[in-house]
Order: sequence, then structure tokens, then C-alpha cells
Amino acid sequence: MKIFYQTFGTAKKKFSNFLNRFFKKKRTRIGIYGPPNAGKTTLANRIARDWTGDAVGPVSEIPHETRRARKKEDVIISGANGNTITMDIVDTPGVTTKIDYHEFLEFGMEKDEAIIRAREATEGVAEAMHWLREDIDGVVYMLDSTLDPFMQVNIMMIGIIESRNLPVIIVANKIDLPDAAPARIRSAFPQHPVVAISGLEGRNVEDLYEMMLEYFG
Amino acid sequence: MSPMPHKCTKCGREYKDGSTEILKGCASCGGKKFLYIKEGELNKDVLEEKTIEEIAEESHEEVLEIVEPKSKKEVEMYDRVETIRIVSPGSYELNLEKMAESDERIVSVGKEGSYIIDLMSMAKEEPKKKPAREKKKR
Repeated sequence: MKIFYQTFGTAKKKFSNFLNRFFKKKRTRIGIYGPPNAGKTTLANRIARDWTGDAVGPVSEIPHETRRARKKEDVIISGANGNTITMDIVDTPGVTTKIDYHEFLEFGMEKDEAIIRAREATEGVAEAMHWLREDIDGVVYMLDSTLDPFMQVNIMMIGIIESRNLPVIIVANKIDLPDAAPARIRSAFPQHPVVAISGLEGRNVEDLYEMMLEYFG
Repeated sequence: MSPMPHKCTKCGREYKDGSTEILKGCASCGGKKFLYIKEGELNKDVLEEKTIEEIAEESHEEVLEIVEPKSKKEVEMYDRVETIRIVSPGSYELNLEKMAESDERIVSVGKEGSYIIDLMSMAKEEPKKKPAREKKKR
């Protein structure tokens, strides 16, 4: 009898897992967007490491290291008050309006390799924009807080995100650097929540997680 | 004496054949229409107290009119139809707004300045897809 219950128990569990897989509410899919070299992959890696234990992708100082959107599924973030949110984190290629292989040559890259990188980056941006159109439920918009937030691409992207009625959290990244000015980002986008972090050092990322629970939960 | 065979139809100022004012507009009144007048009839308008337009009707000469070129509006980069402009191989301009609103899905940018658009994603109908998926589940 005991064995029967045990077997029944496992079967039940299996069955409910099976049902869950099909009837589960669509997960929240969060896209990390922003210009190249804002630290999107560094943040995605940190989120993945903090909550799942592994990484999303490689990082580099050469722009457009991430040329394909990468997804980390079933990231469960929990907050101080016990709230949890299950989401897919999509790390996207840096969004920009111009991609020229010449900029990669400065990093010592060969011409052929640089041209391929430019082409892949262009495809990556198209892909990221396509994701934004169909598959994204919320946006973490990353900015390098040592740079001018009023770049055309940022204004445009925030506009596009707003027109899609997607919730957005703006991350003022790289506050570990001496000339970081997250206040400039706050004043540039007063209509959206802004959190200043260092994705590299992990400073203030808890604040970001709390904010994600609040805005994407 | 150099011939001055054109007159502004508005103010009657004379211009030499081939003068640039005929192309730009009258220097005195800004008029944009000019009539060719035979040399002998150069002062007919004043002598007969006629307007140049009346003389034009009489002489059946064609009135030259400066047609303003339809002001070439500076085409904003983001008004362009293309989602990607290939400046040269390895150099691209991306139209993010178009990308965000267009149904086209670019899957790859070709080597020779072309890009491939995923037609299937344009034809895809969302509502049809969902019931099909549900069927599979059961």
C-alpha cells in the first residue's frame, strides 16, 4: 500500500509537472536593451549567476560583442518581502543607428573580420528590434553613466519602448568609474524609474532586483 | 545694341535673352513669368498702355514661367523606407523606428550589399498559430 502511494505520488507529481509545462502562464520576458558597450551582457551574466548559477555570454570592450540575442530562461528572482518573479532574461545586441567596420579596426581587428562583425552586428540589431516587437514584456534599458544619455539612439529607443507600452527600468551602469554621472540619466528620463548600479562590481544590483519585482511582477 | 527681348509680365522690366533673372525671378518684383517680345515691339506695352499679359495674348508668344522645383525636402533618415541602408560593405545605417514597426524580419545581411528578409514571418498570422499549438498539447 505504501509503495502504491509512493508510486502514485511520483506519478501525480510527474503528471502535474506535465500539466504545468503546458498550462503555465507565459513567463515574463525581460529584454536588456541599450547602446553597445553599456554593460548589458555583464548585467545579464550577473543576474544569471546570482539566480541560476551560470552565465549568459562573453563580454568584451570591443563594441558589438553580443551579436545575437541570448536568452536565459526561468530566472527566478525573489525580493526581500518574499515576492518572486519568474522570467526569461534576453540579452540583446547593442542597439545603434550606425555600424561601421572601421571602428573595429581600432581594436586591432583584421579588415575581413571587422566587416563580418559589422554585418553580424547589423543582423543582431534587426533581431533585437524584432524581439522588442513581439516577444518582450518588459525592458531593462542600460546606459553607461559616464556617457551623455541624450544620444539620439537612446531617445529613439525609449520612444519606441514607450509606444509599445512596455514597462521600462533605466539602469545607470558603471557607477564604479570615477566620471560616472547617474544623476544626468535621472534628469534625462524623469518619466521612468532609474537605478544606478555597477554591473561589474555588483553594487546596488539588489535595488535593481527589487525594482524588477515591482515593475515587472 | 544688345537685344533685350524678355519682359517681366508683372512689372515690365526688361531682361536680356539668357539672363539669369529669367531663371531666378525678376530682380525688381520677384515675378516668375517672362514674355519674349520682338525687338520692334519692345515698348508696345508702354505706348499702348497694355499689360505684358495682354501683349502675350496678342502675340501668342509663350510666356516663360519659372517652375519652382518641388522643394526637395531633406529626407530625414528615419523617414526612409529601408530598415537598413548599406553605405558600403561593412558599413550600415539602421533605421530603428522602421525596424520596430515593420513586419519584415531581416535574417541576414548579404555580402554584396543585399539583405534577406524573412517572408514567412511577414505572412505569419498570430491567431491561427495558437489553436494549432493547443491541439498539440492534448
